[in-house]
Amino acid sequence: MVSAPRHVACVMDGNGRWARQRYLPRTAGHRAAEAAVIDVIEAARSAGVGWLSLYAFSTENWRRPSDEIDFLMGLIRRTLRKHALSMCARNIRCRFLGVSDPRIPSGLAQDISDLVELTRDNRGMTLTVAFDHGGRRDIVEAARALIRDGVPADLVTEESFAEHLPHPDTPDVDLVIRTSGEQRISNFMLWQVAYAEWVFPEVLWPDFRAEHFHECLRAYRNRERRFGDVRSPNPILKGSR
Amino acid sequence: MSAETIAEQPDISILCPDALLADYCQDARWGLAVVRATVLEAAHPQIGAALIENSTFVTHPWRRVFNTLLSVQRILDADPRVRDKEGARLNRMHARIAGVDPKGRPYNAMDPDARAWVVGSLFESTVNLSRMSGVTMSAGDMERLYEEFKAFLVLLEGTADHLPPTVDDFWPYFDETIERGLENTEAMRIILFELFGRMPAPPLLRTHPALWAVGRAMAGPVIGEFLKGTLPESVRQRAGLADLPGSHMLARGVYMGTGVAARVLPESWTRTDTVVGLLDPSLANGGSGSHLLSALRRQQTRAAALIRLLSPISGDDSSSAGSAARSADRFFAEVLDQTGDGYVSWPDIAAMAREVASRLDLEADGEERLFDAFAGWWRELSSALDTDGDGRVSRAEYAAAASSQASPALVRVAEVLFDATDADGDQTISAVEHRALFRTAFSRDVRTTGQDARYSRSEFIREFLDFMAGRHDDSAGYDSLLAQA
Repeated sequence: MVSAPRHVACVMDGNGRWARQRYLPRTAGHRAAEAAVIDVIEAARSAGVGWLSLYAFSTENWRRPSDEIDFLMGLIRRTLRKHALSMCARNIRCRFLGVSDPRIPSGLAQDISDLVELTRDNRGMTLTVAFDHGGRRDIVEAARALIRDGVPADLVTEESFAEHLPHPDTPDVDLVIRTSGEQRISNFMLWQVAYAEWVFPEVLWPDFRAEHFHECLRAYRNRERRFGDVRSPNPILKGSR
Repeated sequence: MSAETIAEQPDISILCPDALLADYCQDARWGLAVVRATVLEAAHPQIGAALIENSTFVTHPWRRVFNTLLSVQRILDADPRVRDKEGARLNRMHARIAGVDPKGRPYNAMDPDARAWVVGSLFESTVNLSRMSGVTMSAGDMERLYEEFKAFLVLLEGTADHLPPTVDDFWPYFDETIERGLENTEAMRIILFELFGRMPAPPLLRTHPALWAVGRAMAGPVIGEFLKGTLPESVRQRAGLADLPGSHMLARGVYMGTGVAARVLPESWTRTDTVVGLLDPSLANGGSGSHLLSALRRQQTRAAALIRLLSPISGDDSSSAGSAARSADRFFAEVLDQTGDGYVSWPDIAAMAREVASRLDLEADGEERLFDAFAGWWRELSSALDTDGDGRVSRAEYAAAASSQASPALVRVAEVLFDATDADGDQTISAVEHRALFRTAFSRDVRTTGQDARYSRSEFIREFLDFMAGRHDDSAGYDSLLAQA
């Protein structure tokens, strides 16, 4: 039996549609997403996934109506506070990817840095929340960092480049789950998903539960991961524990 | 002083670890002498003006106390080069402080009489507080201490001619200056009446504002009264201090009490290092305790994070626009406005450069580069934000334009700061170099943990820019460098 993927990422899509189907405001969909997030964190932990990344808010999401943004910021803050203690107790290390826009309310920014500080030494599972994240921006930032470090062109390799990305100790993503059937990358962890398997369950994110997560893991296990190699029919081991 | 005093100059080599002054500055109570001397200095019109216009004493009183201590320790270092370097640094620092006071009188921190008064008042305070604690200095010790203070002035000025040649001549000079040379300056009033009432918490208690507020409410007036009680009669009259019955007794009592405590408590407890280390664990250098202290501090930040996360959200932080403005406001008050006058002007920026230069113990050219970079940033800042053209940036001007853009001049500051911090020039910041600047160990996930942990140039610059954009409350330790007292 093949073990679980090492790094799973979720693009949490479908909150708006979920709400529309119920004739509710979009904000209701976001609120309903919380339960799914908590369920998935628990499911990933029990399945032995070492790294879980969640795409909470992209750099493009700032274009949404300001009411919705305000609501989202408040919701994220409340959710974060509500679960901070249990994250800590469950030995989950929380990290954030992005979080650089000055429009992020200072209270939320403080809570984020507090949560990171609180869980810094936890080693059970690493939860990376991509918040105000853009994959291209990270790559541009890494390029800037390389130039500032004065790295000569010949020494710029995939490895040295990856070293300059945020949280460079994060392993490549093995499996991306994008809910609601949408099949796009949407500027998500572009560098890290290079060899990822993608699954696109039809279920909307607020309805996504542990059993859906396990289903996705099963689908992943049934795929052949070849990393471009054509010889071996069964090399799923690479990238998993 | 006068022509006949051109006698022989004291030899600055008496400034060494064996100096009598070293014993005094090891005693935590000497901090009180420093504060008392500062009141006397502030009453000097030139020094008072310089303090008001340039000093961060009011906003960052702890910093000034710690830095004075550091300076004296360097001057008493066994290696004469350390001493000379510190003297040169103090001179460079003072050379940058000059201007015109609100009454139109010029002031200059290099003024020889003013500098003699600084050294003289520190000597007098040391003697005075020693006497009040019940230990009267022997005549021999007093002469020796006076010689050391004169040597200190020689280190700065190259001559001690502006102080009287002997202790016997010193007292008439002191009385004369008190009588005629001092004024009821604004700086003195601030120190006497306001400072202790709103003194910011020392770093250790920063996460317990309530505790500090209670302690300060009780201790503040006592310390204030104590200080007033120790001042010479005519200074008190000039400052309009009511001769509160008992304030002199109180002063005596406090000092006697600490004198007794110093005798009863284990010696290490009353040593300045220990007290400073307790007040600000990040300052406890080396030693066996520093590991424990840094672990303690870490626990403390974590506990503070937990408490903040568990305490209810204060309702005023719901709209993103409003809170962004508040955050800019806080950044303005805590970081940019170093002198606490409600405006950002060159002295504020210079204070930042001064703090960095002092921590890194920079040579003249490194210091020059640093000041140039900060000056470039100031030019950019003032041309972009000073909309009414009064040469300073008000809180409102800053809030209106608070941009998170990393300006080229600020990147330049970051680069120069990196070069200055990177003492061995290997293009990375090691743990030791980091400690010199921030006085803390690495506080965040550096790529590799352990002995080889290092910051690259780009990481360092990014963190600096993040901090200066007000994005993170404390990324590397800039709070301890620029925001905390």
